[in-house]
Amino acid sequence: MSTTTIGSTTGRRPSSELLPENKKRITPKRPRDYACWAAAIAVVAGLLYTTVTNENYQWPVVFSYFTTESILDGLALTLVLTVVSMGLGVLLGLVLAVMRMSHQAPISGLARLYITFFRGTPVLVQLIFWFNIAALYPNVSIGIPFTDISTPVDVNTLMTPLTAAIVGLTLNEAAYMAEIIRGGFASVGRGQYEAADSLGMSGFTRLRHVIIPQTMPAIIPATGNQVIGMLKGTSLVSVLGVAELLNSAQSIYARTYQTIPLLIVASLWYLIMTMALSVPQSMIERRFSRSTRRPAAVATATKESLL
Amino acid sequence: MKADGTIVARKLHKSFGSHEVLRGIDLSVKAGEISCIIGPSGSGKSTLLRCVNGLETVDRGVLRVNGEDFGYVEKDNAYHAVSPQRLAEQRSRVGMVFQQFNLFPNMTAENNVMSGPVLVKKIDRKLARERAQELLAQVGLDGCGHKYPAQLSGGQQQRVAIARALAMDPSIMLFDEPTSALDPELVGEVLAVMRDLAHHGMTMLLVTHEMAFARDVADEVLFMDEGVAVERGDAREVLANPREKRTQEFLERVL
Repeated sequence: MSTTTIGSTTGRRPSSELLPENKKRITPKRPRDYACWAAAIAVVAGLLYTTVTNENYQWPVVFSYFTTESILDGLALTLVLTVVSMGLGVLLGLVLAVMRMSHQAPISGLARLYITFFRGTPVLVQLIFWFNIAALYPNVSIGIPFTDISTPVDVNTLMTPLTAAIVGLTLNEAAYMAEIIRGGFASVGRGQYEAADSLGMSGFTRLRHVIIPQTMPAIIPATGNQVIGMLKGTSLVSVLGVAELLNSAQSIYARTYQTIPLLIVASLWYLIMTMALSVPQSMIERRFSRSTRRPAAVATATKESLL
Repeated sequence: MKADGTIVARKLHKSFGSHEVLRGIDLSVKAGEISCIIGPSGSGKSTLLRCVNGLETVDRGVLRVNGEDFGYVEKDNAYHAVSPQRLAEQRSRVGMVFQQFNLFPNMTAENNVMSGPVLVKKIDRKLARERAQELLAQVGLDGCGHKYPAQLSGGQQQRVAIARALAMDPSIMLFDEPTSALDPELVGEVLAVMRDLAHHGMTMLLVTHEMAFARDVADEVLFMDEGVAVERGDAREVLANPREKRTQEFLERVL
């Protein structure tokens, strides 16, 4: 009879790694594993070689304009446009979402019409449209209904490029935010409403302490993505002559004909900003991830949300 | 404010669209009595239960809970819906336990139990927390208060849900198939808590498929089919010797 019994503590044993039950399991690398690496390295090396050796990139020009004043001013305006349009877009989106969820068919119908229209047309077209709105309504008067108090407003002077940019971006963003917010509310099951009702909670308490905290995991990460999208989307308002980042770059190369280097300057700044935003974004996503594998993460995320 | 722990229903009717779910149901539960509603799925059991705390509105008939008309006041020739505040107040005296637990996932077990007292009754947080800890201990979850629902098993979640309902000091507890969503080995712990509650004299109305529990604990059984009460009577009597043919057939299939 063989003396090699499993788990035997007597007799001479081979070192533990040599026991069959302890041996490592190895999957050999296949040619395609190396081929993928080789291909990727070849592509990156080729790109690097051409960016360094091709003098048309004009890297010295890129560096000289990278922090020039008009570029930094454009950068600041891009950030302001992003923050303002996003903020107003979220507020208007919230109103639209509430309307969209209304049980009153005409109200939800209006919101649906708005969302369909603003999501169904290109934002660039919308921006140009708002800039030219004076052609449609040259004069409006702002006043209190049923009184004589009113002031006529010249739409042409009111609708500066900057106003048109903010109006256009905000109205467009609101349509997307409305759907995101509505989706957040749709993600909360009916049972949550019933449980709150059965405890005798008022509609407001139910919303504030039970429903809204549960909509956040769906709304916040999606909103973060919208912010990043908005940041890049502001470049569209350059067509209205708003001196944001892209427009500032364009103004310079219109004079100097150094088109490519200045587009690189603008692109690098957009890249820096989106990368800076993606750090908090991925943190937020992790925090609000509803993964059942890490209930503790959800737990800390929503801690202190009650009471 | 009356809270005598009774439920009386006469000729209740309820339709969803053209489908009549309740067709003239009578129900009577005395204070401290345990009443089970049994019957095939789609027979209107859950709907009847949900009417008793206003999760569904009644189309026609009389529904008196805790000795007063529920959700409506009788005036002249009609029943008039009460204000949302009044309805919420009536509901807070009827605890509800759901098949799917419906714990608030954004709150710890303890905060779930505290949510009613603190957010509805505006009770001091410290007192509410002490009471929540007592209740959690009562359902065998001592020391689980800091956990979130996602960190608890189904049986534990359902026991937290029972504690949450009890925290409002209801005079009636409703259970809507409380063990149907549980793994078989977890059913016992929830039934044990309910049995304990029954022994403490709580009025309980439950929809259940646990025939053994109904036989052991219930005073009365109501067998429903297609929106009508087919048979009603002493729990052990109905389960052991059903008079109606439909009851016999149903019990043969489930036992």
